[in-house]
Amino acid sequence: MSIQVETCDVAVIGGGPAGLAAALGARRAGAGKVLLVERERTLGGILNQCVHDGFGLFLYKETISGPEYAERLAEDVVREPIHVETGAMVLDLSADRILRINARAGYKLVEAGAVVLAMGCRERTREMLEIPGTRPAGIFTAGSAQNLVNLQNLKIGREAVILGSGDIGLIMARRLTFEGMAVKGVFEILPWASGLERNVRQCLMDFGIPLELGMTVVEIRGRDRVESVVVAKVDDRLAPVAGTESVIVCDTLLLSVGLIPENELAKRAGVELSPLTGGAVVDETLMTSAPGIFSCGNVLHIHDVADWASFEGFAAGASAARYAAGERPGGGAVRITPGANVKYALPQIVTPGASGIEWSFRVVRPLRNVQIVVKGKATGRIFARKKFARLLPSELQKIKVRAAVDEDLEVACRE
Amino acid sequence: MSDRAPLDRLTCVLCPVGCELTVDTDAAGEIQVQGNQCDKGVPFAVEEVLHPRRNLATSVPVRGGAAIMVSVRLTCPVPREMLFPILAEIAKLRPEAPIGRGQVLIADVLGTGADVIATRTIR
Repeated sequence: MSIQVETCDVAVIGGGPAGLAAALGARRAGAGKVLLVERERTLGGILNQCVHDGFGLFLYKETISGPEYAERLAEDVVREPIHVETGAMVLDLSADRILRINARAGYKLVEAGAVVLAMGCRERTREMLEIPGTRPAGIFTAGSAQNLVNLQNLKIGREAVILGSGDIGLIMARRLTFEGMAVKGVFEILPWASGLERNVRQCLMDFGIPLELGMTVVEIRGRDRVESVVVAKVDDRLAPVAGTESVIVCDTLLLSVGLIPENELAKRAGVELSPLTGGAVVDETLMTSAPGIFSCGNVLHIHDVADWASFEGFAAGASAARYAAGERPGGGAVRITPGANVKYALPQIVTPGASGIEWSFRVVRPLRNVQIVVKGKATGRIFARKKFARLLPSELQKIKVRAAVDEDLEVACRE
Repeated sequence: MSDRAPLDRLTCVLCPVGCELTVDTDAAGEIQVQGNQCDKGVPFAVEEVLHPRRNLATSVPVRGGAAIMVSVRLTCPVPREMLFPILAEIAKLRPEAPIGRGQVLIADVLGTGADVIATRTIR
């Protein structure tokens, strides 16, 4: 039996907001043969289940729902001579850019001039939190509940408690309220909400759903179905405080406790991952440590706005097209590390002499009236500074350095 | 400055920037807004305090299509107290495929001036 072997200039793995944009970015930068592989039957990724409004403000200059955003971007892709494979799963990726794909027409190999990783992310689960108790039905990650309710017309329960205040959890609090469920509260272990403030207001405050900060679920009870959960206050080290427990009767527990970039394929290709982002370490062209493999969107780092994942996709696709055409980036040698109050800054490496680079960064805790400073580690030279009235861990921010970068940098937040 | 609490503190929901707005009344009783980074913030805050408006999105079962559900939303925000009455109207819908993105499923729902439109294509 002979295995089909195909070639392409740029292969994009994942057809969500980042991958669709990456395929377009590659075409617009001159790539001849672009392949887009999506495991679902339809393009759009997680956008298809995000029926709420608020997408597209930056890309389309109007606010639309997730499915509309996905369709508009997918229409642009379909208009281009991009080869789209839906219902196809990339099983393996090697450092020399050979993809093993389980496609609808069968198993095949694709040799790509350049690869863009755009596989998105997964949700953290109960098992990862190690919540004690029984193992009844009725425990969902917020995104899987969103899929069941919005796409599959299923009623998931009657009375819900939500653990974690990530955006999907907040949006699902409203969604379940619309579906006639009683949402008894959102419990967040940290002293601040993880989701965007506008979601706290529109999804919780509008419906009188309590947001309990500094609290977590310490036990799940119920035999076949969730019957109740036990919540408790936590101390400064986020450990439950004995004696503060209370029981909340509910049949459903939703978890909105963080997202993890889905980098199994990146690992197979030997791509260096950052423990700070969970995604690849990239240079200013969004190239990973594996030459010719680029990364964008939620598989690179978690975004709070789909538009930014798409902008990153356009850039990664364009870089991949240039690589496939034989252009070689200078090779990152300058390292950028996060300083005080900064969780991470991306890109993490930069080619010496590169200028006009914009860094994405996140802070570790809510801050007011602060200055973000990009500083040379050896010389102490200030490359950029920007004032912020307010910075939140939930909000990805950006800072641009106009000057050429020629030494290791630190991105820090001064109070 | 008086030391009483302001009328309301709120986060602007018009875009992901999420400006923190402080709304208060001045000596003449006029509503004053602070903290907005763009000029949309002032009318938003005034409306948000006096008469909040919201958009609404949900999904409804489809008959005869490739997908089980079609997602829908309103073409413009409506008074917040209209959300549940509108949801009840939307719940009566059983649209038949094919459905085009942007297709009006209920025009001027409950006289609010907003249309309920499909937000995806169902073939």
